[in-house]
Amino acid sequence: MPEATIDRTPLLRVRDLKVSFATRQGVLRAVDGLSFDVGQKEIVGIVGESGSGKSVAIYSMLGLVREKNATITGSVLFEDREILGLSDKELQPIRGGSIGMIFQDPMTALTPVYTVGWQLVEQIRQHLHLTKAAARSRAIELLGQVGIPDPKSRVDRFPHEFSGGMRQRVVIAMALSCNPRLLIADEPTTALDVTTQAQILDLMVTLQDTYDSSIVIITHDMGVIAEMANRVVVMYAGRPVEIAPELELVRHPRHPYTWGLLDAVPRLNVAHERLRTIRGNAVSPLNLPPGCAFAPRCDYVMQKCAERPPLRGENDHVDACWLSDAQKVTIRRTPEHST
Amino acid sequence: MFYFIVRRFASAILVLFAISVTVFLIFFATPGVDPAARIAGRSASPQILAQVAKEFGLNRPLPIRYLLMMEHLFIKQDLTSYVNIGDRVVPQITQAAPVTLSLVIGAAVIWLIVGVLGGVVAAANQGKFIDPFIMFIGIAAVSVPAYWLGEVMNLLTQSKFHTSIFSWVPPPGYVSFTTSPSQWFLHLLFPWLTLAALYAGIYARVLRAELVNALNEDYIRTARAKGLSERRILFRHALRCSLISIVSLFGLDFGALIGGAALLTEVVFGLPGVGLLTYTSLQNLDLPVIMGCVMYGAFFVVLANAVVDVLYAYLDPRVRLA
Amino acid sequence: MSDDVVLQATDVVKTFSSRGKKLGTRIVSRAVNGVSLEVRRGETLGIVGESGCGKSTLARCLVQLLPVTSGTVAFEGTTLTGLSRRRLRPFRRQFQLVFQDPYASLNPRRTVGDIVSEPMRINHLGSSLQIAERVRELFTTVGLDAGAINRYPHEFSGGQRQRIGIARSLSLNPTLVIADEPVSALDVSIQAQVLNLMADLQQEFNLTYVFIAHDLGVVRHVSNRVGVMYLGEFVEFGDVGSLYETPLHPYTEALLSVVPELNDTDAPRRERIIITGDVPDPADRPSGCPFHPRCPVATEFCRVEKPMLVTISPGRQVACHYPRNLAAVNATTTPA
Ligand SMILES: Nc1ncnc2c1ncn2[C@@H]1O[C@H](COP(=O)(O)OP(=O)(O)O)[C@@H](O)[C@H]1O
Ligand SMILES: Nc1ncnc2c1ncn2[C@@H]1O[C@H](COP(=O)(O)OP(=O)(O)O)[C@@H](O)[C@H]1O
Ligand code: SF4
Ligand code: SF4
Ligand SMILES: [Mg+2]
Ligand SMILES: [Mg+2]
Repeated sequence: MPEATIDRTPLLRVRDLKVSFATRQGVLRAVDGLSFDVGQKEIVGIVGESGSGKSVAIYSMLGLVREKNATITGSVLFEDREILGLSDKELQPIRGGSIGMIFQDPMTALTPVYTVGWQLVEQIRQHLHLTKAAARSRAIELLGQVGIPDPKSRVDRFPHEFSGGMRQRVVIAMALSCNPRLLIADEPTTALDVTTQAQILDLMVTLQDTYDSSIVIITHDMGVIAEMANRVVVMYAGRPVEIAPELELVRHPRHPYTWGLLDAVPRLNVAHERLRTIRGNAVSPLNLPPGCAFAPRCDYVMQKCAERPPLRGENDHVDACWLSDAQKVTIRRTPEHST
Repeated sequence: MFYFIVRRFASAILVLFAISVTVFLIFFATPGVDPAARIAGRSASPQILAQVAKEFGLNRPLPIRYLLMMEHLFIKQDLTSYVNIGDRVVPQITQAAPVTLSLVIGAAVIWLIVGVLGGVVAAANQGKFIDPFIMFIGIAAVSVPAYWLGEVMNLLTQSKFHTSIFSWVPPPGYVSFTTSPSQWFLHLLFPWLTLAALYAGIYARVLRAELVNALNEDYIRTARAKGLSERRILFRHALRCSLISIVSLFGLDFGALIGGAALLTEVVFGLPGVGLLTYTSLQNLDLPVIMGCVMYGAFFVVLANAVVDVLYAYLDPRVRLA
Repeated sequence: MSDDVVLQATDVVKTFSSRGKKLGTRIVSRAVNGVSLEVRRGETLGIVGESGCGKSTLARCLVQLLPVTSGTVAFEGTTLTGLSRRRLRPFRRQFQLVFQDPYASLNPRRTVGDIVSEPMRINHLGSSLQIAERVRELFTTVGLDAGAINRYPHEFSGGQRQRIGIARSLSLNPTLVIADEPVSALDVSIQAQVLNLMADLQQEFNLTYVFIAHDLGVVRHVSNRVGVMYLGEFVEFGDVGSLYETPLHPYTEALLSVVPELNDTDAPRRERIIITGDVPDPADRPSGCPFHPRCPVATEFCRVEKPMLVTISPGRQVACHYPRNLAAVNATTTPA
């Protein structure tokens, strides 16, 4: 989508979101100060390795982190209303109503014992006051819209009678059924083949356009981000380390972790001898270093990195790294870093 | 679904046939044992032995003997006991069956209601006081031996407080429903409670575990993300899926109890059911009756299994394809 | 060249049969439908295809974990299919399978040292001291701390577990390693580490790889030759460079076009060809060309006539009546 059509009045405004779990081994800080905005009709991508806190972050916004040992703080404004800390009752009209969700594993996301039509109708009738018959024809219409062939007969089928890609379409139909303002998708294509992934991503963009909604898409795949997102939040160890418009991020990444993520993607057009890797494994959120969380894996670590770097930069492109702006540009340009 | 049912019942009939053959072989064709002596029971006279041998064709080949036996059991229904001479086996069973059915069905209603209620309340209140409390009562009910619980009930209702608060409790025994529904109910009330206690405990615990698992499933998160109420999520999604395993458990328990496993309760409360019949015939080594009871029990266990499978397929659409 | 062939499969078919919906009927599903391939010493043969196209089934048939329904598999000239378990045993050591799921493929109740040493103990390769020494060596080889041998699988991350799986597969000094989606469950950064490790090991131990994946980027990166599978058959074979540059089969072309790309250069994006629908059920194969229901350029002829796998130019084979990019392929491969 062209940048110009994006209205930057934020639909969703997340500030200093923190989620921690009290575990036997200590406090596990899954999300540790996440802030970002989602504009009207904007597609924001959140990218990071598994365990970086992406899912926990978005689930916590809608009260879907229900563990008794979880502590959630910060602020999440949706349409200028604080939604963090609302009760289940207060959240009900938002969940599935003005915010729709799509999950990673389409094989387990639907209740196995009801037909997909039943499950769609259930949601539609929860939010829109339609008769059974009207809800059913809306369900059939939605199934058709998400590209399920022969929706009139498929509506009475059970989830196990659909392939993975088709189930994900059903989940998307469900998420869209009540014209949500915001669609949150947690790794919607990770469990799918490239061909199906292309179909689903395409569908999401088309529908977003039809429904004028914004999207937050979570993924660990930089390629998916590049396909979809207008703006990208790179997360590491529960913290945002770089936020930038998509093109800006892939062409002029500034954070060493972003460099690593981009370089590790095997390309179709370049036959690399070796892939560049990020050494080591992701840090455990149980004992985050007090300073930059990426320091144990960073090639450019310095004294200063023992302090936690703030998100800095121009309005549009911010990153949390102590390297100077000049260093970020020159290091990235050196031969071993230009692709 | 139709084919599924046909297939399931066809295999049930096959299983019953296999059981009847096995039982027949064990009882009447064990090498080195004189079947006539076994049928006739202890200290039978030579005339009786001869009569038995003739009646069951004991000098004829095995398949014929099997067919004769089945004819006596099912077609002529004139298999007789030689221990209590003249007692026919089939009428004995048809008399005992309603007693057992009354006992087990009544108890099943109670334990299902109590068990499901307990399981749901416990699972819905995870982490609060009520959850471990219900689970504790559940395990207590499971651990108490049925005959002990029955004896205690008898003690309380029949002697200790019989003249005071439990004066309305009739003496042990059975009154058929057709004779007097109210007496039927009163006679069975404490046997029901006794039998139900054990199973209610098990069911509450199993259901709680199933529900806790179900509540952690992805589809519950989807249901919540759809904006459904917690109550709807619990009942329409989590409970509906958990019921599948409760149903299969129930079928097995129910079949076994009808088939004679309610023995202890029947003995303690003096109910002349199939369990009691099996028990006395075993004590007397009354072979024809034992065989009748075993066949009867097998019939219900196999039938219950088949019904469970069909119900299971109804509840869980994924099974229907198999 | 034939003496260079490590593994040769000829017309391998694997069917699974299951009970049908109607009474007494059986459904026969041809998961692998007539596959022939050669794996040459020292090379990496990549196999790509959507899930359900029979990659894992083929891998299991190749290493004799599944009996083939028909066809033959030969290892270094010896036909393996039909050999008894006992006659097969000496060969088993020479080819090893690495599995996709680093969580499911390691026994959670055994220490990782036990897991890695098990093949050696079963084959009585040395004293327990020698074996222990070898396990330490293997751990170091795959980049794990040798002090970790007494820990259990759950104490390791996904990437580390895959290293353990690789160490186990190397313990018997195999000639051939068949890796079934070894990095599909891993994050990109960890995936890159494991791919590099596999490349290093190939050099060091002169290994031959069959590398199965559904990620075309990964396959491009590791393979010398690539086979594209669809519905239990190979629809295209080729040297990696030319296959990725000039795909012949419409399916290959579509697969390549939809791989998400980073727009980090000004090179124009390739046009995306989104094929519709799902992979058909192998129990209900389409007539003619198996790809025709989804093929953007199918004709009536494709519906009735099945295309054979034919050689278009040296090193390039395709099963399609109307191959794509023909001119380009012929231009680049005219004899030098
Ligand atoms: N209920 C929980 N209790 C303890 N730790 C949890 C819980 N849920 C998630 N975590 C931890 O939080 C971190 C972030 O998890 P998650 O948000 O799922 O990561 P991502 O979605 O980025 O892969 C992980 O380290 C995970 O182990
Ligand atoms: N043991 C089995 N029984 C029946 N069908 C099977 C079995 N294993 C695999 N299949 C079927 O064979 C086909 C190919 O599966 P598989 O080899 O696992 O594909 P891939 O590895 O490419 O995803 C699928 O349709 C699958 O359902
Ligand atoms: S702050 Fe320091 S350790 Fe962190 S990414 Fe920047 S240079 Fe590396
Ligand atoms: S043979 Fe026909 S249907 Fe098959 S891939 Fe080629 S063009 Fe498409
Ligand atoms: Mg996640
Ligand atoms: Mg596979």
